[in-house]
Amino acid sequence: MPNYSPPDKTDAKGVWIFGDGTPADYPVRKSSSKLISRKRRKALMPWLFISPYLILFGLFTAFPLGFSIFLSFQEWNPVSGLSGMKFVGFENYISAYDDPWLWKSLYNTVWLAVASGVPQHLIAIPIAYLLVMALKSGLRHIYTATMFIPFITSTIAVSLIFYSIYSTQSGILNQWLLLAADAPLIGWMFAWVHDVMPLRWLGSSSLIKPAIAFVVVWKYTGFNIVIYSAGFLTVSKELYDAAKVDGCNGWQQFWHVALPMIRPFVFFALTLTIIGNLQLFEEPYVLTAGNSGGVSQSGLTASYYLYLVGWEWLEMGAAAAISWMLFLFIAIVTSLHFYFNGRKGLEGNR
Amino acid sequence: MASLELVNLSKTFGQVKVLHNLDLTVKEGEFLALVGPSGCGKSTLLRIIAGLDDASDGLVVMDGDDVSELSPRERNVAMVFQSYALYPHMTVEENIGFNLRISGLSKAEIASRVEEAAQTLDLTELLKRKPSQLSGGQRQRVAMGRALVRNPDAFLFDEPLSNLDAKLRVQMREEIKRLHKKVRTTSVYVTHDQIEAMTLADRIVIMKDGRIQQIGSPTELYREPNNAFVAGFIGSPAMNFLPGRLLFEGDDRFAVLTDGTRLAVTDERAGEIANNAAIQVGLRPEHLRVAAQGDGDHANRLAGTLDLIEPTGAQNHLKVSVCDQLLTVVDSQLVSLDIDQPVTLSIDPNQVYVFAAA
Ligand SMILES: Nc1ncnc2c1ncn2[C@@H]1O[C@H](COP(=O)(O)OP(=O)(O)OP(=O)(O)O)[C@@H](O)[C@H]1O
Ligand SMILES: [Mg+2]
Repeated sequence: MPNYSPPDKTDAKGVWIFGDGTPADYPVRKSSSKLISRKRRKALMPWLFISPYLILFGLFTAFPLGFSIFLSFQEWNPVSGLSGMKFVGFENYISAYDDPWLWKSLYNTVWLAVASGVPQHLIAIPIAYLLVMALKSGLRHIYTATMFIPFITSTIAVSLIFYSIYSTQSGILNQWLLLAADAPLIGWMFAWVHDVMPLRWLGSSSLIKPAIAFVVVWKYTGFNIVIYSAGFLTVSKELYDAAKVDGCNGWQQFWHVALPMIRPFVFFALTLTIIGNLQLFEEPYVLTAGNSGGVSQSGLTASYYLYLVGWEWLEMGAAAAISWMLFLFIAIVTSLHFYFNGRKGLEGNR
Repeated sequence: MASLELVNLSKTFGQVKVLHNLDLTVKEGEFLALVGPSGCGKSTLLRIIAGLDDASDGLVVMDGDDVSELSPRERNVAMVFQSYALYPHMTVEENIGFNLRISGLSKAEIASRVEEAAQTLDLTELLKRKPSQLSGGQRQRVAMGRALVRNPDAFLFDEPLSNLDAKLRVQMREEIKRLHKKVRTTSVYVTHDQIEAMTLADRIVIMKDGRIQQIGSPTELYREPNNAFVAGFIGSPAMNFLPGRLLFEGDDRFAVLTDGTRLAVTDERAGEIANNAAIQVGLRPEHLRVAAQGDGDHANRLAGTLDLIEPTGAQNHLKVSVCDQLLTVVDSQLVSLDIDQPVTLSIDPNQVYVFAAA
């Protein structure tokens, strides 16, 4: 019969002693594995589990990273094979620093990052708020999914379609502008169209950047709407009730309650936008037809320039140096963003 | 300040009707308590008064004007939410002062009024904290503060003290009473705690399943309950109920219990109930006396056995088995009795309540 009563006392080793005082005596089982001790095996196990990741990481991330640092101090045309490498010290960095195209591309990058970044959020936040406040969840999901489609469509495909929309002679944009200018009621608003036609959206240095920015805004706004919808959904209904009782009108409910509540989401979305927009490549590449950044390099972004140096001009060493400078630049901008917005953006206030 | 009137008010959620044709008037400056079991529609009623929900039918009238179409902002009522509903991104100070800020008061004015409210509620130390850094009771006090800093036409309180410990609750109750004496703002106060309702309110509304059972002053409800529900709801310990029949003998009325015991009932209590009708006999624990004490000369006597003694300090609560049911008796003489000993209880005919059996 099992003994369910508590032990009367324990001996020096902590073994329970019942009644008569004989300590329970159990046979010790030996482990069947003799090669590695249990302790050893326990210590090795975690490494075994993460080793697939570590191997892939080393092969495809750590090694290229290290190699690109090494490369940035060499002059190397990949066509000449590995033996064609020549150590040049800081030469690549110095000439990149003196390169007007690099600075121009950085300027373009920042211009595009702002012009295509800010509107995304200014449009996405109110739309997400209205979707969450006004629509039942079924309808809201349909709308959100629709606005998400541009984001999952290939950037090349999107850019190609816009390339034809922007086309000077046959593009639908110019055709519509002309139609609008000749239309009865609204014609006066578009009277200027005839004076400026034909508009060369992708062929003039002043229009190409806005044209690119518009494509970026069009593609990524839906993504931000999804993030912000999720954010607004976390704000409980009773907070709006409290705000109404506190005398808030609709706008004040949005400004004083909803917007501060989604601050972490704004921070997250802004971070993604900053990092993404500073690396713009496909949109400007396709829209300038791969032609060195278009008229007087107005559409040349930093990533685009990097591509030119490496793969068009085959100067891999210089490209590596530029890529590290671009990395440094993005790191600085992101750190500034974290420094100024991070405390409020990341704080746990719920 | 404003008077408040609900006219034939109903509320339906989908298929379910949760408020049934309520009619209620709250006089200007009156403190009205709303009590009833969980789920009877108290919070729903407050939300409709505040303008957060629309009534399905009927009117909300303030100061003689139908305000059913007005937004909460235009109604100018302050509300303490049952779930607090504090703004997580604002400090205690900002939470309390938010309404004042929205109303466009000066910074100095806001600061001084927040300071004053914080002092009343013992929150001064916590002003710079966020709600997530507060205990449940502290949050509840912030929710109170948010209402008290205002100068509204009416206060709506939804169980504002439910999460406080006993001592703090008593303290806050007195604070609310003092405040109401001072500002005389029309108030509707929802609570589960009948002591709170009795001590604070000018009048109490008792609700059950979305219907008003009775409205009256605390004493009226205690002395003249309309039905068994009200009688059982008001009073602590709760009233004892025994099944029985009403018997007419000449001009006299008797309640006959299942074991044949006859209790004299006054005409007034018997009311409209017919001869031989099934009834619920209601006996308040504090009206029952142990007859052996010598003061039990009332005509009405019940025989029973003592089952249990629950000492509460100043009084003993006796559980006496009568007609196979346990009656609670409040014994303030602290007589010494033995368990399982037969006892005789007595009660004044004036204090025997009878209600038609449902
Ligand atoms: N939005 C809603 N949709 C459907 N039914 C609801 C809704 N809100 C409340 N109810 C129902 O209405 C009834 C009354 O709810 P209410 O919150 O007013 O109860 P209460 O008296 O405040 O209860 P408690 O004392 O537990 O707070 C309940 O049965 C509840 O389930
Ligand atoms: Mg409630």
